Amino acid sequence: MITLWRVFKSGFRNTFRNAWLSTAATIIMAVTLLIMTFFAFSIFFVRSQLNEVQQKIDLTVFISDDAKDEQIKALQSKVLQTPGVDSVEFVSKADALKRLEDSSEEGKKLAKSATEIGNPLPASLEVKLKELDDIGGINKQIRELPEAVIITETSYDSRDDNRKGVIENVIKISNGVTRVGGILSVVFLIIALLIIFNTIRMAIFTRREEIEIMKLVGATKWFIRGPFIVEGSMYGVIGATIATIALIPIGRVAGQFLVEKFNAGQAMAYFGTNFWVVILCIYGLGILIGALSSWLAISRHLKL
Amino acid sequence: MILLDRVTVIYPNKTVALSGASLHIQPKEFVTVVGASGAGKSTLIRLLIKEEVPTSGKIIVGSIDYDTIDKANIPHLRRKIGVVFQDFKLLPNLTVYENVAFALEVSGVKNAEIKRAVPKILQLVGLSEKAHHYPGEISGGERQRTAIARALVRNPKILIADEPTGNLDPKNSWDIIELLLKINRFGTTVVLTTHNKEIVDALKKRVITINRGRVVKDEKVGKYSL
Repeated sequence: MITLWRVFKSGFRNTFRNAWLSTAATIIMAVTLLIMTFFAFSIFFVRSQLNEVQQKIDLTVFISDDAKDEQIKALQSKVLQTPGVDSVEFVSKADALKRLEDSSEEGKKLAKSATEIGNPLPASLEVKLKELDDIGGINKQIRELPEAVIITETSYDSRDDNRKGVIENVIKISNGVTRVGGILSVVFLIIALLIIFNTIRMAIFTRREEIEIMKLVGATKWFIRGPFIVEGSMYGVIGATIATIALIPIGRVAGQFLVEKFNAGQAMAYFGTNFWVVILCIYGLGILIGALSSWLAISRHLKL
Repeated sequence: MILLDRVTVIYPNKTVALSGASLHIQPKEFVTVVGASGAGKSTLIRLLIKEEVPTSGKIIVGSIDYDTIDKANIPHLRRKIGVVFQDFKLLPNLTVYENVAFALEVSGVKNAEIKRAVPKILQLVGLSEKAHHYPGEISGGERQRTAIARALVRNPKILIADEPTGNLDPKNSWDIIELLLKINRFGTTVVLTTHNKEIVDALKKRVITINRGRVVKDEKVGKYSL
């Protein structure tokens, strides 16, 4: 216990001994953590937006008024068996009318006049998909089913190119953000690892006399190595603190912007309730990067 | 007890540092090892603190067989053998007191025990007054006494002094030798290597002479002759 305390003490002291290298290591750590947090958030945000869009634009299959219940049941179970389909919900003519009625004031009026002419709204199957990319293919498969005779049309048939384009764009943006974020995060991760690796290597070099003396007076391997690991982790802790402090105002401004422009209240609320988890992840990641690069430097340059 | 049985050390560049050297040192002995530069004295000391592994032969110190000691126990072995060097090997950014305390800190000794042991040993080597000076602020002789204090603070059974007077003037050299004799009288085995003929001849103690990696002379009361 006393030994562990001494290892920590010595690690703390050493962190502040070589001011320039320590500063460089801390700054690059903070920048790396900020970039990783930023992209993790962007990916999360785009995905959640995409999810919302996806829920709005799943496939709707309209059914002819002449269709019998058994035919509809048969079609429903066949559609459910189609690969890529997540769930199928039957919406009857009455349900459709009810929905229209509940949707808005305008809808209420429309529903009223629709009732007068004998409810022209068709029954439908609402199909939820596992992946958005397959929508065209799945539409085709459903249309080719033998049970498809009762289908009048699908939302995909009537969809104009503009809507398709929006979906494709959202998917493209999502994939792009993930790719760019991933690459940038990895690049900065490598830079941070290298710089801290070098800082620790320098520390080992400048302290070689001390290390030799420690060996001479019978210090155990971990008593010598421990302070370097602590030093590396310290860069993680300080870097994470800087990143967190920077993140609070950035998060506030960006949050407001996203809520206003993208109606991203739900995503932001999710972030708000998980604030401490996010902070904890930043610290954890910082300590992990610091300790890992120290460990690499020690195993390469500190021969005991 | 230190026992070397036909120990040979050949370095990777084929230099033969020791070749079949055997010697036996009893507990509480005071032994001087002499030899020209490159004769193998330093190799001998590096073997004893297990910085070096013999190419062949056997080394036993106390009850420890160096062949069977596992790597994790080397620090514990080193805590039982005190070593001082010609260049003192003190940490310049620690005071005399802290340098001595450092040896106890690395072996997990409690702070209360450190506070008790360090002043006592500083008094033994006559450095109580300089306890809070840095190595840069004291004389060579005082630095060497600091190093001796650090080596002794853990009560080792054996003290190895590798040319401890090499950097000191005659007056300081004698102070150090007298300190080593005092330590030996308290029951610590002392192994001294030196180039100083005057000291060796005046000591009238056992002298082991090494030449080209071999023990060429081993006299109960020896003189310096190469």
